[in-house]
Amino acid sequence: MGTRLTRRRLVQAGGATAAGLSVAGVPAAWSARAAQASVRIRAAGFVESQEQLQHTIDVLAAYAAQHPDVEIVPEFTDYDSYVDKLATEAAGGNAPDMMSANGDIMGEYSRRGVLRPLDEYVPDPIDLADYAEGTIIGNTIDGQLFGIPNDCIAPSLIYDTTVFEETGIEIPDQMWTWEQYAQTANDLSAAKGEGFYGTEDGGNSYIACDMFLRGQGKEFYTAEGGLGFEPADLVAWLGFWQALRESGGCPPGDVQALATGDDLSRTNIILGNAAILPQLTDTYVGLQALTENPLGIHLLPNGFEGDELTQHHYTYAGNSTSISAQTEQAATVVDIIRYMHTDPEGIEIFYRGSGLVPASATGRAGLRDEGSEGEVRVLDYVDMILDDSSTPRNPAVAGVSAILRRMNEEVAFGRLSTEEAAQQFFDEAESRIS
Amino acid sequence: MSQTGVGVEGLPPARPGEGAPRRALAPLRREPAGRGRAWLSRRSVQQNLAGYVFLIPWLVGFFALTLGPMLASFYLSLTDFELFTPPEWLGFDNYVRLFTDDRRYLRALRVTFTYVLLSVPLKLAFALGIALLLNRGLRGLGLYRSVYYLPSLLGGSVAIAIMWRQVFSREGLVNQILALVGIEGPSWISDPSYALSTLVALAVWQFGAPMVIFLAGLKQIPQELYDAAAVDGAGKLSKFARITVPLLTPIIFFNLLMQMIGAYQAFTSAFVVSGGSGGPADATLFYTLYLYEEGFTNFEMGYASAMAWVLLAIIALSSAVAFLSARHWVHYSDV
Repeated sequence: MGTRLTRRRLVQAGGATAAGLSVAGVPAAWSARAAQASVRIRAAGFVESQEQLQHTIDVLAAYAAQHPDVEIVPEFTDYDSYVDKLATEAAGGNAPDMMSANGDIMGEYSRRGVLRPLDEYVPDPIDLADYAEGTIIGNTIDGQLFGIPNDCIAPSLIYDTTVFEETGIEIPDQMWTWEQYAQTANDLSAAKGEGFYGTEDGGNSYIACDMFLRGQGKEFYTAEGGLGFEPADLVAWLGFWQALRESGGCPPGDVQALATGDDLSRTNIILGNAAILPQLTDTYVGLQALTENPLGIHLLPNGFEGDELTQHHYTYAGNSTSISAQTEQAATVVDIIRYMHTDPEGIEIFYRGSGLVPASATGRAGLRDEGSEGEVRVLDYVDMILDDSSTPRNPAVAGVSAILRRMNEEVAFGRLSTEEAAQQFFDEAESRIS
Repeated sequence: MSQTGVGVEGLPPARPGEGAPRRALAPLRREPAGRGRAWLSRRSVQQNLAGYVFLIPWLVGFFALTLGPMLASFYLSLTDFELFTPPEWLGFDNYVRLFTDDRRYLRALRVTFTYVLLSVPLKLAFALGIALLLNRGLRGLGLYRSVYYLPSLLGGSVAIAIMWRQVFSREGLVNQILALVGIEGPSWISDPSYALSTLVALAVWQFGAPMVIFLAGLKQIPQELYDAAAVDGAGKLSKFARITVPLLTPIIFFNLLMQMIGAYQAFTSAFVVSGGSGGPADATLFYTLYLYEEGFTNFEMGYASAMAWVLLAIIALSSAVAFLSARHWVHYSDV
C-alpha cells in the first residue's frame, strides 16, 4: 500500500474496536431521527488513532444535530480494512457518498471515475486560499481537484529526547547531512550498548528515500507517474542502511521485521530499543501517547557532506475528503466539509486532540491557541517547513512502496546484494508503472 | 456411539452390511410397463416439481453464488480486468505470465508446496499419535477429546494467529522457556529461516479434526484381531503395523485428502502473523496471500482469477495423484 508508513494499523487500539465504535458510537438520537431525515449520507474513511475516530464521529454528529433533515452514517476503520472495503464497494457501484482519501486512493479512484471533481465548489462555499499549497497540489490530478485536504503532514524524524539526554549526545542542527545522521545513530548505539540501536531502519520508507534522492537533485516519483531515479541511486540508498546494520546503528532484519507493521506500539522507539524513527508527522501524537519519554521532531537530512544544504521537505495531505461521482448529495457533503474545516465550532470538535494538523492557516491558528505541548510542537514543525517548502512530492504509484519494503528486507536478511535488490526493484516496479 | 460416523461419509462402507440398502432401492427405479408416456411425464413432472421446489434454496445458492461466480472468474482470468474498467480480452496471457514472468508467483508456489509437504504429514502423525493415546480406555475420555479438539475450533480465528505472533516473538513464551535451559532462541516469526516453520507448527497444533476422525476409526477395529494376534505372540509394534495401520488406511486417506486441500488454501494464519505482507522477505507468501494482494491491493483481478484457477488445477491434480496412489496402499476390504 502506497503510504504504509503513515498508516498504522490499529492493532493496539484494536482495529475491531475502531470498526465497532463506528457503529456503537452513533448517538441513539440519530437512529431515532432517521425516519424523518430526508437526506442520508454514508460517510466512510480511515483513521490513524482512537482519538481521531472519536473526533470524526463527534463532528459528524454535531453537524447532523444542527440539520434534522440530514442523517449521516459513519463507517470508519483502519486504513487497510478501509482500502479493501472501498475497492469492492466502488467496483459494485456502491461507493460511499463521502469518503476519506490519501494520495494513493485519490490517484487510483479519480482515474477510474469513482470520484467527483470538486472545482465547482471552490472558492464558494469552500475557500482554499489559505490551505497549504502542497496539500492542494497533491489533490489535483490532471488539473482537477479531487479532495479537500483534512490535514497537512510532512516527512520527519521522531526521536526520544530522554535517550539523547542520558547519553549526552546532541542531535545536530535541523539542517544536517546523511553522514551526520549515520554518525549520530552509531554514537547512540555505542553509548547505550548491546540491544539498542540509534535509529530504526528507514530503508523501507519511500518518503525518506525521496529526501535522500532530493539531496542529489532527483526524486522518487516524477510528475508523469514514473520513477525519478536510477538503479545506482537505489544501490546507494539500500547501502546506506546496510552499512548502518553492519555498524550496529540500526537494527538487524529480524528485529526490524517485528516493527515494520503499521502498529506504532511495536516500533523500537516505543519498545525502548531505538532513539530515532523516520515517520510522518501525523503519527507524532499517537506515538507520544504510547511513551512517557518526551518525543522530539526533527528534519530528515537535507543533503550530503560537502554539499550546500537546501531544504527538501514539503507538506501534503495525508487525509482528505472526496465525494463519490454518483452521489446526488454532493452539495450536502460539501456543506459538511465546510462545517468541519471552517466553522469555528467544527474546527474545535474535529481537530482539537485528534492528532490532525489542519491544512488551512486559519485552522492551524485556531488550534495553536490553548494547544497542548505535543500539538504545538507538531504545528511548529509543519509551519517551519511551510515557511520554506520545497516542491511538493508527486503522487505515488500503487504497489511500488511495498516493493521497496521487500527489497530492503531482502538486503537486511542477506538474501540479495544491494545491486541485485535494486535491479529487482526496477524489474518489478516497471510492471506497476504503465 | 454416533462418533463412529463423524466425517467419514463419502467413503465406501467399512462393514459388509452397510452396502445392502443400495440394492433395496433398485426396484423403485423400474417403471410400470405398458403405460403411456404422457402419464409418465405428467406424473414424474409433478413428482419432480415438488422435489425441485424444495431444492430451490440450494439450487439458487449453487448457481448464483458458486457456479456463476466460478464461471465468471474463469472468463475474467482470460482478460485484463482492473476492477473498475471493463475487462479486456487477453486469451491465456495471464497464465503464461504466471509461469514465465513472475518471480513472486514462483516464490509463492514454493512456499505453499513446502507448507503442504511439511504441515500435512506432521499434523496427521500428531493427530494419530494423540488418537492412539486417547484410545486406551482412559477415564474422562470425553473431556480429553473436547480439550484436544479445542484448538481446531479456534484455529481459523484471527485471535489465535495474533496469540501465535506473541508466543513466537523475540521475547515470547517459546524463547522464555528456551532461555531457562540456556538457549537463546531466534526471533521466530521475523526471521525468514524460521517464519514458515512457526506457521507449520500452528497448523500441526490444530490437529483436533483429524484426531477425532482417527479416534472413530480406531474404535471400529475389532478387538478380536488384537486378541488373535496376541495369541500368535505379536508384540505391540507388530499389532500397530499389521492391524491398526492397514485397517485405518481409509481413514488416513480421507484425512490426508481433506488436510491437503485445506493446506493449499491456508490464508488467515499467514495474513495475520505477517501483517498481510507475506513477510519477512516473502518467507510466508502463501499462494492465497499473493492472490489476495494482486486482486485487492493491486486491482489485478484478471490475473488473480488466473491464479485461482491454477490453484484449483493444482488441488485437483494433487487429489488425483492421491486417489491413484490409494489403490496401492488403502485397504477397503474387511477381514
